[in-house]
Amino acid sequence: MHFDPRMSATSTEPIISARDVSRAFDGRLVVDGLSFDVAPGTILGVVGPSGSGKTTTVRMLTGTLGRNQGEIRVLGEDPRRFSRRTRGRIAYMPQLFSLYEDLSAQENVGFVAALYGIGPFKRRPLIRRALEVVELHDARHRLARDLSGGMQRRLELACALVHSPDVLFVDEPTAGIDPVLRKAIWDELRVLRDEGRTLLVTTQYVAEAEYCDSVAMIVDGKLVALDTPERLRKAVFGGEVIEVNAQRAVDPEMLTNVPGVLNVRQTAPRQLMVTTADAGTVGPVIIEALRRAGVAVAGLEEHQPTFDEVFTGLVEQQRGLRDADDAATEVTPNG
Amino acid sequence: MGSAVTGIGHSIVRMASFTGKELRELIRRPGVVLSLILGPFLVMFLFGLGYSGYRAPFATEIVVPADAGFSRTPEDYAELAPGRLDVRNVSEDLAGAEQRLRDNEIDLLVVVPANAAGELREGRQTTIRVEWNQVDPVYDQLATLATSILVSSLNAEIIERATAAGLSIAESELGPAVENIPPEVIARPTTAETANVAPTAPDVLNFFGPAVFALVIQHLAVTLTALSMVRERISGQMDRFRVAPVSSMELLVGKYVAYAVLSLAVSAIVGVLLVGVLGVPLLGSIPVFVGIVMLLTFASLGFGLLISLVADSERQAVQLSMLMLLASVFFSGFVLPVTDFAEWMQYIAYALPVTHGIATLQQLMLRGVVMDTWMLGVLLGIGVVLYAISLLRLRRVIRTAD
Repeated sequence: MHFDPRMSATSTEPIISARDVSRAFDGRLVVDGLSFDVAPGTILGVVGPSGSGKTTTVRMLTGTLGRNQGEIRVLGEDPRRFSRRTRGRIAYMPQLFSLYEDLSAQENVGFVAALYGIGPFKRRPLIRRALEVVELHDARHRLARDLSGGMQRRLELACALVHSPDVLFVDEPTAGIDPVLRKAIWDELRVLRDEGRTLLVTTQYVAEAEYCDSVAMIVDGKLVALDTPERLRKAVFGGEVIEVNAQRAVDPEMLTNVPGVLNVRQTAPRQLMVTTADAGTVGPVIIEALRRAGVAVAGLEEHQPTFDEVFTGLVEQQRGLRDADDAATEVTPNG
Repeated sequence: MGSAVTGIGHSIVRMASFTGKELRELIRRPGVVLSLILGPFLVMFLFGLGYSGYRAPFATEIVVPADAGFSRTPEDYAELAPGRLDVRNVSEDLAGAEQRLRDNEIDLLVVVPANAAGELREGRQTTIRVEWNQVDPVYDQLATLATSILVSSLNAEIIERATAAGLSIAESELGPAVENIPPEVIARPTTAETANVAPTAPDVLNFFGPAVFALVIQHLAVTLTALSMVRERISGQMDRFRVAPVSSMELLVGKYVAYAVLSLAVSAIVGVLLVGVLGVPLLGSIPVFVGIVMLLTFASLGFGLLISLVADSERQAVQLSMLMLLASVFFSGFVLPVTDFAEWMQYIAYALPVTHGIATLQQLMLRGVVMDTWMLGVLLGIGVVLYAISLLRLRRVIRTAD
């Protein structure tokens, strides 16, 4: 199965659009031909390991870093030449805490609001709302240096939200944060999405792809996959996966000829992982086939592969394709 | 029209955001504020308390040859250069005295010529040898001055002795009436009556108070601005500014206003302490004083911004600020007069804001009027040029990074 990296997650006119974007540092390609679109009111998760080019991508999209090649459009403008008006509709939450430690949470948010030209009287309710969204209103008078790491990330998020942006670029909002708080931050990001905002969020936690409307997986600066989380799962495993638990040892051969079964893997003597075109219709057929072979089914359920598995599968597929390409290149000159 | 007014309003809000942020950050560090206000005052207070302006007289040994006919009592030489010589010993031991000079046991060695009066009677000039062992240029100049006074006094002494002995040298010049003139009048026909017409009496604290004050204002502005901008760059805050609808001019003006307010506040407090507590006179008007402080701050902020835009770390910014402080101490007229330097070096000295700050503040405070008004123009010029350079440089920095 091969993914088309140019495939858009939705058909709506994109708010963010990147085409064949590349960036090199000292001759080393860090981002290599990225292309994707982000539809309005959706979250695109840019997922990849540390050093895969996520932050470089976000910086190019926000106009803080130039590119060597390709086209980028955000709200219809090239980020290198954003108008003031467009800048006013964008927010950027950097990867590292860059706010002022000697200012209180409220003052930090107020400072960022003022950067967007919001006057002192208009600012007050917006600061309150932004702090409430990230549940920091009670800590508004505390100096930023006295906040925990998680609270500082939320404060960064509040600063990004205070001017009610249409588009948010959020770089690794959950890095170094405990799982409970990570979930809370994603809940907040999804609320923003539900309000109609468009978000591009990077993360190195593959499992967080689950929270996104579409996912761009990046490895070594290259786009490995771009699709909805569900379709990615299907694509990696070639269909929907059913976990079959039998009452005695079972032979995978019993199911290979069953209609709708695409692949069978044995994961334990009494357990099979069966890839099907449609789990809903093929499930009963599997039960019947095993019964006829004299095996009673103890349990059958659709298996939801984790995104760690999906990511691993994608990387393996990508490497397989690359090896095949390399082999073809080696053979071609001689014959 | 309406959108233009809104745009200006937004711009003012953005500039004010930087001003407010800078001032808040400073207030949150009470140690910094305390050292900013009390530090300069304490430096001047200690300076006034500890510096008397008294320079210890040179420890002197006088070598008088056996046939010189001069006194061998140290006290007899005390008045030759009053306050400048501490005659420790009078001897005939030239080699021993030279060794003591090399060993820094004495500062000055005076070798009186043998038979000076006799040589004079023969119409020949004799030489008084004076040697010292100093690497300090100030002391070197003082030793030269002390020598000049000493030689003049010794000459007078020699003539006085010769005249008292009935020498007819003066008689040939002045005729028979010479016998009615006392020998000391022939030896010292004129005396000087001195007066200092400056509006304030020379005083170490009065003179150096405004200089320290100007140096503190410059150092404050340079260091704080340099550190502030470098911190913005290192923390990644510049990326936030690049994304936000903030212009480099709004950022710069916001910072300038913050540090101008801070400088004025510090100047006001230190100025009150300087005049009210240390008693340094302020003969000029307060508005002109404020004007000089503002111009000095404006020009110094430019240097701070320039440092911040070339330094790539806080450490480098501090190093460059200290380098500027060092250059200011040496070249600004704080220690040595600017005119003592070579002409090309004076151009460098005049490129430093503090050179003009020291001169104009000393003139205003101690004379009541700024005489070198061109210096105010130079301060303004330095400020404008550095602002323009910083703006151009910041535009490049704040623009999309390459």
